[in-house]
Amino acid sequence: MSAGNPRRRRAIGRQVRIWSGVVVCALFLFPVFWMVLTSFKLQRDIFTSPPTLFFTPTIQTYTTYLKFADVPGRILNTVIVSVGAGLVSIVAGAMAGYALARVKLRGATTIGVLILLSRGVPPIALAVPLFLVARNLELTDKHITLILAYCTFLIPYVMWLMRGFFLSLPRELEESATIDGCSRFGAFFRIIVPISLPGLISTFIFSVILAWEELLFALVLTSRNAVTVPVAVAGIAADMITGVNWGALCAVGTITVLPVVVFALAVQKWLIKGLADGATKG
Amino acid sequence: MSGGRAAAPGRTRSRRVTRLIDTVSRWGFMLPAFVILLAVLAYPILYTIEISFAELDLGTFLPSEWVGWDNYETVLSDERFWHSLKVTGIYLAFAMPLQMALGFGIAFLVNADWRGRGAVRALFLIPMVIAPVVAGGLWRMLLDPLWGLSNYLLGLVGIGPLDWFGDATLGMATVIIIDTWRWTPFVTLIATAGLMSLPRDVFEAAEIDGANWWVMLRHVTMPLLVPIIAAAFVVRWLGAVKMFDIVLASTLGGPGRATNVINLFIYQEAFRGLKFAESAAMSIVILVLTMILTGIFLRGTRHLEQRY
Repeated sequence: MSAGNPRRRRAIGRQVRIWSGVVVCALFLFPVFWMVLTSFKLQRDIFTSPPTLFFTPTIQTYTTYLKFADVPGRILNTVIVSVGAGLVSIVAGAMAGYALARVKLRGATTIGVLILLSRGVPPIALAVPLFLVARNLELTDKHITLILAYCTFLIPYVMWLMRGFFLSLPRELEESATIDGCSRFGAFFRIIVPISLPGLISTFIFSVILAWEELLFALVLTSRNAVTVPVAVAGIAADMITGVNWGALCAVGTITVLPVVVFALAVQKWLIKGLADGATKG
Repeated sequence: MSGGRAAAPGRTRSRRVTRLIDTVSRWGFMLPAFVILLAVLAYPILYTIEISFAELDLGTFLPSEWVGWDNYETVLSDERFWHSLKVTGIYLAFAMPLQMALGFGIAFLVNADWRGRGAVRALFLIPMVIAPVVAGGLWRMLLDPLWGLSNYLLGLVGIGPLDWFGDATLGMATVIIIDTWRWTPFVTLIATAGLMSLPRDVFEAAEIDGANWWVMLRHVTMPLLVPIIAAAFVVRWLGAVKMFDIVLASTLGGPGRATNVINLFIYQEAFRGLKFAESAAMSIVILVLTMILTGIFLRGTRHLEQRY
């Protein structure tokens, strides 16, 4: 058997693998591309048969619809709520994750199992009581309510992710800090937090993304003042009477998605490693 | 230790204080998360249990009368509840294996070693961060029977036109397609990390020993991959049982009740029908069901990890 033959076959196999990867990637990205494209179309360019790729782009949908539906206000709400929820969760979740990883606690294993199980709690089981309680405390339609509601899934998430992260740090770090006379909290905030900053920031960004796109709690707990963008999108998509305003849907969708995509791409290296570590090292 | 207690009581007390401070500082790390989760996670669940055994007064929005198992009986004899459970089951049974297979297959493709690998991998993440509600609405536009792009493209190869939102089977297919588009990159991401962590030398050694591809798959790749597949399955399961946004934005549970997954059904009963007590009972049923299944899956994962 000649040495060239299997080598050539392998080279062809590699080419096939590369190009099918590229094609699959393009197929998955196409819907997003189409959404962005449609957001720059006029109504008459959207409803054409066959669908058109060539048209005069316009930002008319953005300028008219966004003002009409107070999208900037809703974006502001979404920013407040998702950043707020991200901050609360990263502080509380990182501390608790550190406790699970490094501080000897009686019952830590039980707590770990409970957290993992709590990630399976269907949000609808919380939406009903949260709504009733918020109503009775006159807390509906407030940012803080939504921030706390998002903590129900963000804190367990951050705890689990950061637990894995802290477990991978060398133990000598705290030991030397304790010898130097640091208290446990001192060691955590002065030594552990600074060197975990990349992990903390990435986890924070991912928490913000999760809160940013949440729909159910926002739908249930807000009515006017604290309405978030996903609720607005659901409103457009559910408009069965006048038909869906595709232009508006695409414009608001593009605005919703753009910042998230930018952030996700910024942290994607860590995302691949960190997120999957959190998933596989359960 | 007992000797110390007898000899110097003063020192013991200071030691006890130190120990108390120590315990407090240990649990201090847990405290913020504990307090918040108690208030917004544990308490609401307990409150749901309370409501599920009561009648809810719609004037005060407080539980008024204790009715025992009545709400549960109503719910469990409601044909629509069982139908929603069935629909959810069908969705899970088709979407999850599909996404697992696609996710791992695509991970194999996008991890081919070449210059553009980093870019392809990064771009492939994008659907994963598209808000599910946007994904639902966006695909509703693409699949629109009259103006949608997909029917046009299918028409070019002689299929259709398909009424994606008018037929029960196609409605379910629509939901599964959208969900698969949104979530496959996530499975790919986990698979990628798993594949990257595989020990290379094992494969090289097997190859040198002259193992053919079947032996390689059966005795080298599969045992190494099984824990990763199991872990990806559990994580995907935790997301899939929460299915709500995509259905709400695309089929709205229709046509008829064909895609009315359980979360959407409970949502409609509670917030459109104002049947809070029955919804609470349903929530508890779902909660218990999910917890049991999640527990089984976690246990199964651990079992698989130990076996391989």
